[in-house]
Amino acid sequence: MRRFRVLVNAKSYDVSVEQAQKGKFHVVIDGAPYEVEGVTDLEVASWIVKSPSETLHTHAKVVPVDRVDVWIADMPFQASVQVVGIGGYGIVPEPQRSTSSGQVTALMPGRITSVLVKEGEVVSEGGALLILEAMKMQNEITSPISGRVKSIFVQEGATVRKDAKLVEIESTEK
Amino acid sequence: MKTRLLIANRGEIALRIIRTCRKLGVRTVTVYSEPDQGSLPLRYADERYPLHGSTPTDTYLNIPKLINAAKETKCDAVHPGYGFLSEDERFVRACEENSLTFIGPSSTALEKLENKLEARKTMQGAGVPVIPGSDGPLKDEDSAADIADSIGYPVILKAVYGGGGRGMRVAKNREEARRFFRITTLESRSAFGRDEIYIEKRLNNPRHIEIQAIADKHNRIVSLGERECSIQRRHQKLLEEAPSVALDERLKKQISDAAIKGLEASGYSNAGTVEFLLEETGNFYFLEVNKRLQVEHLVTELTTGIDIVEEQLKIAETSNLELSQNEIRVKGWAINCRINAEDPRRNFVPSPGRVFIYHPPTGPGIRVDSALYSGCDIPEFYDSLIAKLSVYGSNRSDAISRMKVALDEIEILGVPTTVPLHRELMRDERFVQGKFDTTYLNEMLPRLMSTIYEFERIAAVVAAVQKTRNPSNHHLMKGHMLVSRWRAAARTHMASSR
Repeated sequence: MRRFRVLVNAKSYDVSVEQAQKGKFHVVIDGAPYEVEGVTDLEVASWIVKSPSETLHTHAKVVPVDRVDVWIADMPFQASVQVVGIGGYGIVPEPQRSTSSGQVTALMPGRITSVLVKEGEVVSEGGALLILEAMKMQNEITSPISGRVKSIFVQEGATVRKDAKLVEIESTEK
Repeated sequence: MKTRLLIANRGEIALRIIRTCRKLGVRTVTVYSEPDQGSLPLRYADERYPLHGSTPTDTYLNIPKLINAAKETKCDAVHPGYGFLSEDERFVRACEENSLTFIGPSSTALEKLENKLEARKTMQGAGVPVIPGSDGPLKDEDSAADIADSIGYPVILKAVYGGGGRGMRVAKNREEARRFFRITTLESRSAFGRDEIYIEKRLNNPRHIEIQAIADKHNRIVSLGERECSIQRRHQKLLEEAPSVALDERLKKQISDAAIKGLEASGYSNAGTVEFLLEETGNFYFLEVNKRLQVEHLVTELTTGIDIVEEQLKIAETSNLELSQNEIRVKGWAINCRINAEDPRRNFVPSPGRVFIYHPPTGPGIRVDSALYSGCDIPEFYDSLIAKLSVYGSNRSDAISRMKVALDEIEILGVPTTVPLHRELMRDERFVQGKFDTTYLNEMLPRLMSTIYEFERIAAVVAAVQKTRNPSNHHLMKGHMLVSRWRAAARTHMASSR
């Protein structure tokens, strides 16, 4: 039996994996049982996951170093996998939780059609900062926190890549 | 057919049009932007013509470039598909002036319907009921708010030259009416190249019902029955079916007749759709005319057996409709799921990128309209619709069962899509019973999110198993693009047979 700590979307799971027979695994995650069966073992492996309630066809691929990319119903998930122990017990430190930051980045590539705030302006959580156009849609980009606009990294008309820094908000809460 | 056709569009709809043309022996020319250089329609068209540039304005919305493309390639007709210039009166006029047959209505009919305020007047004149709203375009934020106040909230701000659910926002109060004036104006300018917007009253939980019609140049019109399009998010349809559970025979006839009267009054020709909102009381109101082939036309093709693109081409060539109303039979049930490159986890933000594995479902009663292939790129410049998954069944529950199977089979790896949403819909009690309206989807989204949280757990399960099986991955570290399983299998086979 192998034990892992797996992180998906900042949530941590304790997973134990036991190979039942070739290509078949018995998995327990936070006490819940799953049966996992391998279908193909190409660059992207296919796995059938059976839970008591449903059967899902999934895909996975190991990415250096500790990451595994998983797809379920077309939805990609990035998991970071740490080995906790093989057969016995082991301890790794709890992952650090990221606190809500004032960095606003582009969720998608696109074009900035409007900058609605100025540097130094006070904004509240959920307040509109910019309008980003992508795939014909105008997306209102809002502030994740309440605070003051520290810097604006883009101008109207600019084309931005995914994850590009757009605005930084300085928290005014002390 | 003698026609030589320029397809002024891209993606799945360009490919769909090419398929009918190939069947009829119509020669096709497809135009393409730089990001679309590797796209599938290019492979099946008889000729390709580059538009140079990436943005819609530089390419598929550029009238001079398109007209020039048609002339240089000696085309005599243009099919606009949907979106882009499909309903642009200036484009139709440019085609007419250059002796190109536009596959769609005449510029005069289009003009009558393009301006939604004018369309409302035409419909009222024909005795078709319309929704209460503003008489002219809105001037500024303040006048938008004032008119909204007088109509009563909630209201919808709409692009006067809009369509397809774009350039629309619902305002629940004065503050929103002011704020959305700006966004809607921007969206309208970017999507339709025109600023003007107007206001309509938002009805209480209506259904969206539309009639597919085909008209010839002598004002002979047939109805191919209704489509139910109430499953929407932010006015974007996500699922369509034909027929609708909400209509009895009497209501079907009333709505169909209203659609035909409305089209007659506008001198409409070619394929068109009249959209209505239906209240629970059975009252229905004219919404807009979609003056083109629609995204969801395929559900009607499945229930009537008619190839709508073929009819469009025939009417354009001969001016005459060969179909007559009494030979049209609506049989069985069809459902279409729109698969968009949008991330349901992040409020459906567009998710362009590379699809490294695409495996479409198939089998009895399944149709997939898509230009995807393993390794293709989904550019950020255009619409997020990447596939239409349709099924046909003998009745609604049969169709739902088939859709469930098809949604389990489809694989689009690389970009998040709306597939999980459709899977959830097929299991939802209200959807299965047909008890929904245009507000339903927002109500079921929290359930979708809980399924996605469950997916996170399963992702953790699979990640751990993958790591157990494959702790190192040296053979993957070469950095080249992943190949599809089919190609990988073929390579293995080639290697072993050598």
